[in-house]
Order: sequence, then C-alpha cells, then structure tokens
Amino acid sequence: MKLPRLVLLQVFLRSFLLQASWNYEQMQSLGLLYAVTPAFRRYYTGAALLMAYRRHLEHFNTHPYLATAVIGALLRLEEQKQQGADPGFGLSEFKAAMVAPCAAMGDAFFWGALRPLVAVAALLPAFQGFWWAPLGYLLLYNFPHLGFRALGLIRGYGGGVRVVSSLQHWRLSDWSVYCKQLLLLLLGVLAALISIAATAGLGLSGAWVLCAGPLLWAVAMLMRRKISPLLVIWVLCLLSLSWSQLR
Amino acid sequence: MTDVSGDAVGIVLARVDNRLIHGQIIESWVPALDVDCIVVANNQLAAVAFQKTLMEAAVPRGIRVSIGCIEEMVDQLKSRDLEAHRILLLFANPRDALRAYRMGILFHELNIGNLQGGKDKKRISCTVALTGDDIAQLQALEDHGVKIVLQCIPSDRRQLWRRSPD
Amino acid sequence: MELSTLGLTLAVSVVCGLDRTAAGQFMLSRPIVAAPLTGWLLGSPEAGLQIGAMLELLWLGRLPVGAAIPPDDSQVAVGCTLLAVAAQARTGMPLQAVAVASLLLGMPFGKAGQFFDRQARILNGKLLHRAEKALECGCAKSLERLHLLGMLHFALASAATLGVVVSGGWLLLPLALKTLEQPLTAVSNWLWLLFPLTGIASLLGGLKVPRGWQIFCVSFLLSLFVLVLR
Repeated sequence: MKLPRLVLLQVFLRSFLLQASWNYEQMQSLGLLYAVTPAFRRYYTGAALLMAYRRHLEHFNTHPYLATAVIGALLRLEEQKQQGADPGFGLSEFKAAMVAPCAAMGDAFFWGALRPLVAVAALLPAFQGFWWAPLGYLLLYNFPHLGFRALGLIRGYGGGVRVVSSLQHWRLSDWSVYCKQLLLLLLGVLAALISIAATAGLGLSGAWVLCAGPLLWAVAMLMRRKISPLLVIWVLCLLSLSWSQLR
Repeated sequence: MTDVSGDAVGIVLARVDNRLIHGQIIESWVPALDVDCIVVANNQLAAVAFQKTLMEAAVPRGIRVSIGCIEEMVDQLKSRDLEAHRILLLFANPRDALRAYRMGILFHELNIGNLQGGKDKKRISCTVALTGDDIAQLQALEDHGVKIVLQCIPSDRRQLWRRSPD
Repeated sequence: MELSTLGLTLAVSVVCGLDRTAAGQFMLSRPIVAAPLTGWLLGSPEAGLQIGAMLELLWLGRLPVGAAIPPDDSQVAVGCTLLAVAAQARTGMPLQAVAVASLLLGMPFGKAGQFFDRQARILNGKLLHRAEKALECGCAKSLERLHLLGMLHFALASAATLGVVVSGGWLLLPLALKTLEQPLTAVSNWLWLLFPLTGIASLLGGLKVPRGWQIFCVSFLLSLFVLVLR
C-alpha cells in the first residue's frame, strides 16, 4: 500500500504540532500519534487501529525538525510489516534507536549552530536600524528548517530504515561546527560595528574601540564561570549609574 | 573539573545514560570537559547496525567514537590505543557500568545522567528513575569506592547519590 | 493604556508563546521577531527593533538542551516593548533610556516563564493519562482533541508570563523613571553598549569550536580596521 500524496501532506502539516502536548512522562508520544493518524486510518480500522495506537503510545522525544524523518520511516515500516516483511527489529526498538541520535544532530545543528548564526546575520542590519532585519531572519532560518522537515518525510517514507544513511549523509554534526565557525566570524564583525558606533556615540576617539576587546574577554571569562548574563548586565548598569551620579 | 583517571587511560567522565549519545553529551559535556573520544560500551547497540551508524553520525568530525560490546571496549580501553585521548565513557545502565568496573576499568566517579522512568521504578530525580536492580548495582559500585553523582549537564548542581535506607 | 493595545499585545504573546514549543517553531518566538512585531502593531517599530536586537543577542547562548527550560525570552520581548512604548508616550523621554529601563526591569520577570511553562507541561501529563484511559475504553476519537488541548495550556502559560512581566514592569517602571530620569538619560549611551557586549561575551563564553578564538579575533580586528579606514 502506498499513501496518497494528500495523506502525506496531512502528516507533514500535523508534524508541526508534534509538541503541542509535550509532557514529562512520555514527551512527544501523543504528538506522534496525532501526526501519524491520517496514515494509520488508512492502514487500520476498528480494533486494529486501537491496537496500533496502544503500541505507539510510548516514550518518544526527538528534535521536532528531524522527527519527520522518523515518522516517515515508521510509516514505511508499518506498511512493510503488514505485507509480512520482517525487518529484524521491532518498531518500538526502531523508534528508541532513532530518537536520541536525531535529537543530538538536531540540537547541535538547528539550536546550537543555525539559529545563532542566522540571528547574528540578522542582527548586523538590525543594529543599523533596518526594519527588514526580522523578515530576513525568518526567511533565512525557515528555508533550511522547512527543507529538512519536508526532505525528512520524503526520505523517511521513501526509504524506510534506509533513512539512516540519508541522515548520515547529511553530516549535520560536521555542518554545525562549520556554522559555528562562520558564526564567530560574523560575531567579530558585529562586535567591531557596535564598538565603533558606541565610541562615536560617546564622542570618544577611535583608539578607545580597542578597549572593547579586553572588556569582551573579561565578561566572557565571567560567563564561563556560569554567571548569568542578566546578573552581569544589572551589576554593570548599577555601576555606571552610580558613577554618573557621583560625577 | 577533577580528572577521574581510570586504569592507565584518561577517562574524564564515566556516565550512565540510557539515551547514550544525544544532545546533552555533544553540546554540553564534550565542550565542557574537552573530550576528544567517546566510548560507548553497550551490547545491544553493537548488535543493531543502523543504530550504531546513526550514533556515529551524530558526533562531529575531530572527535573519535568507539562503539562496541562491553568486553571489546574494555579491551580497547586497556590497550594503548586510546592512551592519549580524553575519554567520555558511556553506559546504558548501572549493570553495564559495574561489569566494566569488575573487568578492570577503574573509574573513581560515575555520573548518572538520564535513566528513563517506567513501571516499578523509583524516581530519585527529574531525569533518573531506578529499578531495584539498578540500586543494587550502584551500591555494589559504591562499595568498590566509586562516587555516584547525579548531574544532567555540567551547569546543573552535582547531587550525591544517597543510599536509600530500605 | 488602551484596551486595544493590550489585546494586540496579548495576541502576539500567545502566537509567539505557541511557536516556542507547541506549534511550528518557525522562530516567531525569538526576540528579534517578536519584539519588532509588537512594536510595529503598537505603532513604534523602532522601539521593537531595538529591544528585540538587544534581547536576542543577550540570550542567544541559552540552549534548550535536555529538560532544561530557558527563561521566556519571547514574553520578555513582547512585554518590554509594550512597556517601553507606553512609557515613552507618557514621559517623552528618549527612546534609548526608556528601552534600557524597561529591559532591566522586565527581564528578571522572565523567570516566571520557566514556572508557568513547567506547569503547562505538568498539566499536559494529565492529558496523557486521559488519552491512555480513552484508549483502554476503546475510544480513539478523543486522542486528537486531547493532544490539541495541550496548546491551550501553553497559551495560558504565555499569557500568564506576559501578565507577570507587564504588571511587574508597570509597577516598577514609573518609579525608576521618575527617580533616575537624569542619570538614565546621561548614561543611556553607555548602558546601550553594555547589552550587546554582554551578549557577544556570553556567546563567546559558551561556544567551543576548533580555532574559535582565532577566528573571532581576526575578524574583529580586520573589521575594525576596515571600518576605521572608511
């Protein structure tokens, strides 16, 4: 049995709500059921549908963007199982095996690298006051985001367990390192822009910009010691306020 | 960070985590401890080929990964192969950790990260739930002088495991 | 403050709050988007853009790894923009000073977001139990409804967080602006510099990649050179 495109589209759209009922007991388990429901309705009816739901209502927690790859592969495996093929492992085991590495790759790439990279890229125009910076941010970020969601479902449903080699092939963990390096490059530009704007705004001579370097380093060292940025900001602000009062 | 040096090899962290390699490992522990080699000792994982492949793919280049059954990994840790590395050693449950310890991988401290909840399990922190068997294994480890520490990520508070009175 | 203003802010707050975890994650919830959106709807896009940029940079380093919930930067962004726009209309002080003050007072209340978020997730646990019961009774229809109900919990949590940020700021801001009007205006340029610098430093402190510091330093010095020469 092959699912019609429309049903796959429904699964795709529903996957956006994967975390709507995130909870501490089973994380995204209900969300997974919600997403696969259009497909399961085609596979099973009546008691068999209930059985399928019961089988799948178990611990599930992965990165929301890469979840479509797991969901797609799961649907393909359900079909293969119905046709009597034996993949050599249970579907529960398959899910359990997929979630942690997908979470690791997704966390590292999307949260740890792509999001800050795009944010810093958008902050460059934002600090110059360009109103389109937030729009640019959304466009730049959601291009890969939606791309991976769609591609994940296609590769997952198309390949079943072979989705693993696609995931391996994308090498998201390596890309996250490259993205972070690019992020640091842009961060250097941003730091320079801000220091120059600040010295100009304060009416100081150009040589003062070089002070930004050690200042940054000192605060970064504080952060390494797990001091929250909020606290640092508050202390620095109080210091400069009282200094201006004293003067 | 205190180095928890094992028997001739540089194990910087020995950890029990039923999710094995995941976001907390890659994004938090590896940078915090400057780990450059992850060793996963787990018999099930070694048997399922695709899971092993995925785990390896989740680790960025430049960090060595070694996944295999417990005996294999113990041999590798004892050999000179991994001598120069800063190693993060992962187990899926306390039983495996004790087994490796008895085979001669003498870590001084065992970190407990995530152990999923379930039926007949005693929840001792937000992310850790233990069965009776788990508790017995951990106690055995403690009797060998291993410090048992509950800590999800480096910025969390280190919580010492306390033997329950029952 | 008009009722329509509050209504608009609440709508943005709920949409962004849902985007955080429950629905989509298109990153509408990031301060760089949420604050300018609020500002634009309230007729002061400039305030929104400035506050959004500051907050985004400051909290960029906070990753949602594992079970850890970061402070609710979306609601802080929306709430602080509302506070700044309202305070500026009332006092006529320069935008920078008002924005800094509302950020300083509003941000600590973001902690409330962690509490409400946890409550929403605990309530969702009840939904799961109901779903399990429904499956036992053989009623599969209610599963989808139960799942979607979780969004209501997240929406309520967002609205509650916004309420705390705005009411907390509302109480403290007039007081702070009145007593500190002169020093605030005098040093707002300095304060304005502190936010992005702390943000950049927190990112630098948290990132560990091969050759990270070298890349940053070379890029910083080169850009300085180019910008000064220009």
